[in-house]
Amino acid sequence: MQKRLTLATAALLFLAIGLLPVLAMVAKTFYVGDELSLKIYQGLLASSKQQAVLMGHSLSLSLLTTVFATMVGMPLGVLLGKTDLPLRRSFTVLFTVPLLMPPYVLAVAWFAVLGKEGLIGHSLPDSGSALLSSWLFGLPGCTWVLFTAFLSIVILLTMVYLGAVNPRLEEAGRLVSRWPSVLRHITLPLIAPAILFAAVLVFLLTLGEVGVPTFLRYPVYPVETLTQFAAFYDFGAATAATVPLLVITLLILGLEYRCLHKRVLSLSAAPPGARRGRIELGPWRLPILGIVSGLAVVIVALPLSVLVVESASISAYVDAFSRASDSIVRSLAFSVIGATLLTVLGFFCGYLIHGRALSLWRGVDVLGLFLFTLPGTVIGIGLIGLWNTPITNVIYGTSAIIILGYLVQYTALPMRITAAILGHIPRSLEQAAELTGASWFMILWHIVVPLAKRGLIAAWLISYIFCLRDLGISMVVYPPGSDTLPVRIFTLMANGAPSLIAALCVILIVVTLLPLAIFGFWLRPGSNAR
Amino acid sequence: MKRQLTLVALLAIAGTGSLGLLTSCAKQQTVVVYVSHDQVFSEPILKDFERETGIKVRVVYDTEETKSTGAMNRLIAEKNNSQADVYWANEPIRAEVLRQKGISAPYISPNAAGIPDTFREPNGHWTGFAARARVLIVHKDTNPRPSSVVAYTDPRWRGKTVIANPLFGTTTTQIAALFVLWGDKRANTFMRNLHNNAIKVSSSNGDSADLVARGEFAFSLVDSDDVVNRMKRNQPVEMVYPDQGNDEVGCFIVPNAVVLVAGSPHPEAGKMLIDYLLSKETEKKLAFSDAAQIPLHASVATPPYVKSIESIRVMKVNYAQVAAKLQAIQPLLKNWIGP
Repeated sequence: MQKRLTLATAALLFLAIGLLPVLAMVAKTFYVGDELSLKIYQGLLASSKQQAVLMGHSLSLSLLTTVFATMVGMPLGVLLGKTDLPLRRSFTVLFTVPLLMPPYVLAVAWFAVLGKEGLIGHSLPDSGSALLSSWLFGLPGCTWVLFTAFLSIVILLTMVYLGAVNPRLEEAGRLVSRWPSVLRHITLPLIAPAILFAAVLVFLLTLGEVGVPTFLRYPVYPVETLTQFAAFYDFGAATAATVPLLVITLLILGLEYRCLHKRVLSLSAAPPGARRGRIELGPWRLPILGIVSGLAVVIVALPLSVLVVESASISAYVDAFSRASDSIVRSLAFSVIGATLLTVLGFFCGYLIHGRALSLWRGVDVLGLFLFTLPGTVIGIGLIGLWNTPITNVIYGTSAIIILGYLVQYTALPMRITAAILGHIPRSLEQAAELTGASWFMILWHIVVPLAKRGLIAAWLISYIFCLRDLGISMVVYPPGSDTLPVRIFTLMANGAPSLIAALCVILIVVTLLPLAIFGFWLRPGSNAR
Repeated sequence: MKRQLTLVALLAIAGTGSLGLLTSCAKQQTVVVYVSHDQVFSEPILKDFERETGIKVRVVYDTEETKSTGAMNRLIAEKNNSQADVYWANEPIRAEVLRQKGISAPYISPNAAGIPDTFREPNGHWTGFAARARVLIVHKDTNPRPSSVVAYTDPRWRGKTVIANPLFGTTTTQIAALFVLWGDKRANTFMRNLHNNAIKVSSSNGDSADLVARGEFAFSLVDSDDVVNRMKRNQPVEMVYPDQGNDEVGCFIVPNAVVLVAGSPHPEAGKMLIDYLLSKETEKKLAFSDAAQIPLHASVATPPYVKSIESIRVMKVNYAQVAAKLQAIQPLLKNWIGP
């Protein structure tokens, strides 16, 4: 009873805070003035040819980005999470850095590297720099920038799930075969849901991305939503324009469910305390180290070096702190609160999805990913429509509205991570505790949470990163005088000194890495917190 | 387990403590302003107001770079429960749209006296101040230098020019102004010729200016502050005021516009802020800042790189007509951008 009531409360809370703003927005698409009408959708259909071209661009971009990110990210995840490659932790942090920046900033950094007068473009002959520049502005450039932005999602999820694979299965495989074969036939099939989930995330994030394609002049479908908002101020049409994106999202989620979601997780329950096998690279150690270092230089160090060089003066940092110290503190506070609430809500929703304790589990799961893929601007306008009333000013007029926005958009992340991690905890442990008369909360606190600790920390960190880098929702709903650091960077980018912007981006990266370092120290080898 | 509890407690204390600190100054007299003008230029002015009056200014910043999805859409979405007192628009068309949607309130500031009628809504729904000029940013290696917006259609510059997305910001406004001035037929031909001359479209005026400064393109139509900013960074660009010949259309001027929001929570403080923004002192500050804006009051001192409004051949248009035309040509511009 205790369990069902808690899970039902968490699910209903999420459904309420997530669904109501969207319903409020969707309802507006059926009204023109005060009259019920399908005119908005008729308008959408009337320009279907143009929309189809834009959608084709979006799908091409998403597909290419996903394929490249998965093809590179999965092997990197295995190398960093499963082998004795030197400097694994440092590489993990390094590859994560691009994810910490708003993709638009990354595009600007790549422009400073590959543009005609950029770091590389400048040193090439005219024809070479022209070719590089034309390559940057278009599908190849967009794919490259978004590949570098989202690569770490595949790496991190691969690593997290690798750590949860039952080592006994691999040990059994090792008795009759070498590591490559064990990886191919046992480990990778077991973590296939993680890789598929990572691929889905990359695909959907790319599909909804508007900043990078706009900057690099590659027209994509989400621009349609932006145009309806920014040029026509038509909220109904803007929401209606997201419908085709949502249909594609639902199709992809349906495919994911059919392919793998149910099948594989049950195979991989890891006994607590089991020793994990590490792949010894042997003579390949140094050559692979060279390849990974090369990738890190190309993917991360190049754009990062532009920011570091640009900001390399004390005055830039003094200026940055004087202009944005309040935003830095706010960003930290909002992200800590947001990530903590997300982890709690995501834990219960994830538990519901894993155990399928209530019949609405599938609805919660689909809604989570559905909201994750909605443009932040749409969610923001939905939140305004719902919460901006004199009675609810205590929420809308304060920073609570930003936290609420985080909960609406990002619950899918901790929810899915929790569901996956719980799949590795033997159900028999909970059942044994139940037989001794322990309450559900006691079982959670003394058995489930400690066993799922590393996964929950990962969920918190990923939630923290996404809250901290959020721009779409924060930009639309932040209370006057309470902007966040990414919003401040974005508004200062218009005619702000490049050194100031670069310094702010470096600060954003450091602020994001701070909890990663704290948790890294806390979970270091030898610490009894492990 | 103790460590987990300690960590959770620390996180909660850190979060709520910071939030408490940030919301503790709610009792002071305040004014809420939504700003579409670049934050680097508007923030010092608002801080000066705060210092001089003691009124706390709470700001929502936005910028043309973000397509103003923030401030303008918020004002519209908040219509029935206004949170803002004042809207500082970076051009008068948004202010005019707010008037049409019933979101602005009339207020004629005493400091509006002396600002030419062209730059004011007659009933005080918006008042212009501190203008930018729509100019050509030209790379120093470009020879010959273009001197008119019509240069965009010259085959000599085929594929070598860039313009900000005409669906957004001051570029839209300027194209709407050309439609008003030239009539639909000639303006449509001009737009078609832009396409035929392989013009490229950037995401914003700032991007256009950067693309020209980095040598990707020969020239672009941007706002004057975009050029001054790059010139101050010693980038290889020059500013050209277009169409200054006797028989030419003149340079399009884009004033800032300030609006009192209807049903605002602090109307008196809002009026004080409007008076402050419309003062000669504010125009002087904006002229001498990196915004390099042109004062609309007569006899306001300017730095050497800011021309006085009297010395520029100004495009003569009615901004209300431009606003109406802008809304009429949006579908056309959307088709012009294409997929």
